[in-house]
Amino acid sequence: MATQTDPIPPYVMGVDLGSNTAKSVVLDSRGELVAHSVVQMGAVSKGGVRASIAQTLEQAGLTREHIARTIATGYGRRMVEMADRTFTEITCHARGAARMMPGVRMVIDIGGQDSKVIAVDANGFVEHFAMNDRCAGGTGKFFEVLAKAVEVELDEIGPLALRGSTEAQISSMCATFAETEVISMLAEDRPKEDILAAVHNAVAKRTVGLVNRVGIRTPIVMTGGVAKNPAAVRFLERALDVEIHLPAEPQIAGALGAALLALDDLRAMQRASAERSSAGPDGDAAGDAAVAGLADLEADLLDRQIRPDPAHGPACAHCRGAGSFVPLSIAPIDPR
Amino acid sequence: MPVDVERAGGRANRLRSTATSGRMVTEYWNNLFTARERGQQVLWYNGQKVNVFAQAAGLAWCHGEAYSAMLAARHQEEPAQRAADARGFMGELCSYARTHIGCALMSDTADHVAEAGLVGGPVVHGDLPLPDFTISAYPGCSSGQQWDETLYRLFGRKVPMFNVSIPFLWGNHGDALAGPEWDEALAYVVRQFREMIRFIEEQTRRPFDWDKLSEIMYYIKQAATLRTEAQELCAAVPTPASYWDWIASIAPVNFLPAGPQLVEYFASVKAEIEQRIAAVEGAVTGERYRLYFDGIMNWNNLGLLAKKFASYGAAVIAGRYTHRAFWTKPHLIDPEDPLPGIATHFLLCPLNHSAADLIRFTLEDCRKYHLDGVVFHVSRTCRSMTSPQFLIAQAAQRELGVQTMMFEGDVADASFYDDALVTMRLEAMLEAIDVQRTRVA
Repeated sequence: MATQTDPIPPYVMGVDLGSNTAKSVVLDSRGELVAHSVVQMGAVSKGGVRASIAQTLEQAGLTREHIARTIATGYGRRMVEMADRTFTEITCHARGAARMMPGVRMVIDIGGQDSKVIAVDANGFVEHFAMNDRCAGGTGKFFEVLAKAVEVELDEIGPLALRGSTEAQISSMCATFAETEVISMLAEDRPKEDILAAVHNAVAKRTVGLVNRVGIRTPIVMTGGVAKNPAAVRFLERALDVEIHLPAEPQIAGALGAALLALDDLRAMQRASAERSSAGPDGDAAGDAAVAGLADLEADLLDRQIRPDPAHGPACAHCRGAGSFVPLSIAPIDPR
Repeated sequence: MPVDVERAGGRANRLRSTATSGRMVTEYWNNLFTARERGQQVLWYNGQKVNVFAQAAGLAWCHGEAYSAMLAARHQEEPAQRAADARGFMGELCSYARTHIGCALMSDTADHVAEAGLVGGPVVHGDLPLPDFTISAYPGCSSGQQWDETLYRLFGRKVPMFNVSIPFLWGNHGDALAGPEWDEALAYVVRQFREMIRFIEEQTRRPFDWDKLSEIMYYIKQAATLRTEAQELCAAVPTPASYWDWIASIAPVNFLPAGPQLVEYFASVKAEIEQRIAAVEGAVTGERYRLYFDGIMNWNNLGLLAKKFASYGAAVIAGRYTHRAFWTKPHLIDPEDPLPGIATHFLLCPLNHSAADLIRFTLEDCRKYHLDGVVFHVSRTCRSMTSPQFLIAQAAQRELGVQTMMFEGDVADASFYDDALVTMRLEAMLEAIDVQRTRVA
């Protein structure tokens, strides 16, 4: 924890302002996770993101002055006042997931408003991606609408669905039409467990379509709020017939990726500054050259981050090996 | 390292010469709206470029898709679409057709329409005269023929209709221009042209002017040659002209009257492109990305999209709609024997090819223009255009390693477009291109 007497350390922050939640992450200069928070809020709420940032800073014992660089992502990324830059969720989730699970080749992120499937290459870079179309089918919103229809709290639908029969089917992927199907099933006195199983099955089928567009590859890691729903993960595993790995905090993958990008920025600036000061009268030109060479730096950094830790197997918190998933804090980036 | 795409700060630098196209288009519509005053008969046609026959026959003509696109580009399409919806033409049906049919319906009833002889008064700055007869010439699309059938019934069967059937090119080399499939298809379409010309002669009660058709095709050959040459010059870096410039030049090569002015237009476009290449002047300031656009234009958002892409330094250079349609093989046009050349181009419509052909075309264009990515406009009401898009995307990724993105929208129905999603997907693709460059570096 930082104290008031410490020199200002170059911490960085990543902020993910999504459609339902605000997430923020602080990393130190070695890339180690210092603090993070997830705040539930209204749609892309400025209040929510402020609360998340405040919570994370408080948890870290820092103030905004300690943060040298901030990158924002998510639908509300341009509303994050303290952001220096923004990146899309695609880039940030891939980056965050690659850090959370070294060697990951596919990221499935089901968020409140959209679903994304991202193919990641052996180095952790985005290769290709696919997203749901503009309807809410297959997203967190779909679950929200249908949980309300069956009068069950959102965090209860997963456990209930796991107890349901998979015979019932919901044919429509339109949230509104699916709601009418659910109401019809309730009118037929079908058990809520079965109805919710059908809901999860429908989302899994939709997600399989996205996966197939990109081309399945393993290992797969799931991020986003829906990853915390055990039935969503189980039904998708069944539909894909592969194991899906879960990080301990799937919701912060985007914010973590943003923070890692912020760290890259910071290091590049520091390196450029150092080269400029040592280059004499032509320092500016040398500094510019250094900035232009960020590509190499980035590749090097990523290579370091995603190298598998031999002390840890490929298992994750979800698939029996709780604790064997590579923790964020033990895959540091070497400081330069 | 991904670049901060948001802050690229590029802007569109449109060709100045394409401003002439706007004036030509306005003049064309004004002439059509006043055709009755000059005693001209009016042909409505849909699909392929029947206008060359209409011009030779001394008719005024309205291309249904062009009319709907014009309304959409002017944001005047909604009343017509509401009118069509009220009569049961639901939102999932072709929005070109819905808009066009809706314009007819806006004059109250078919009977009233037949008496009034005008439609669309409240919609456009002029009145679109009703047709004396219609011709349908749709390749690769079933909606077109149903659209014309609907109009036929709407007008109480008082408006004669002729349908040119254009066979789909099933083979994997539909543009080979040789072989049994091609020979049979070409002969079949040419045979129908001769029947269609007899139909036109019956409607106009005068002999068809074959000399005029030859003259028209002479000008089209010249103009199309200049157009394709100018397009190929855009392999230059930075590209001197963009997809949006070619979109602005669609009307002249699609449905405007052929004549010396058409040739002058494309000569001026080509000359400006050559000047830009000499001056290293790009169609987008600070060009950083070179993209392909697959899909029919989203006419409701033409300006918005042009500015959006440019703001990221993304030059959209070529597209299936602009580079694979509209007299793309001018060397095959023989003004002295025009029917085979016209039939060839009807058959080569980009809706009329197998997915294998479309993949090959797209990959060729990506290589020719040195492109980094492919943007797919998934038009919700044009399934003909969208059905092979996933296959094309997969092939582009696999064969060339280029990035792709898809966004939903429509040709003329604004309700299918979501700007926030387009922005997010575009930025994600550009970031992925940046990362890809990093990897290559």
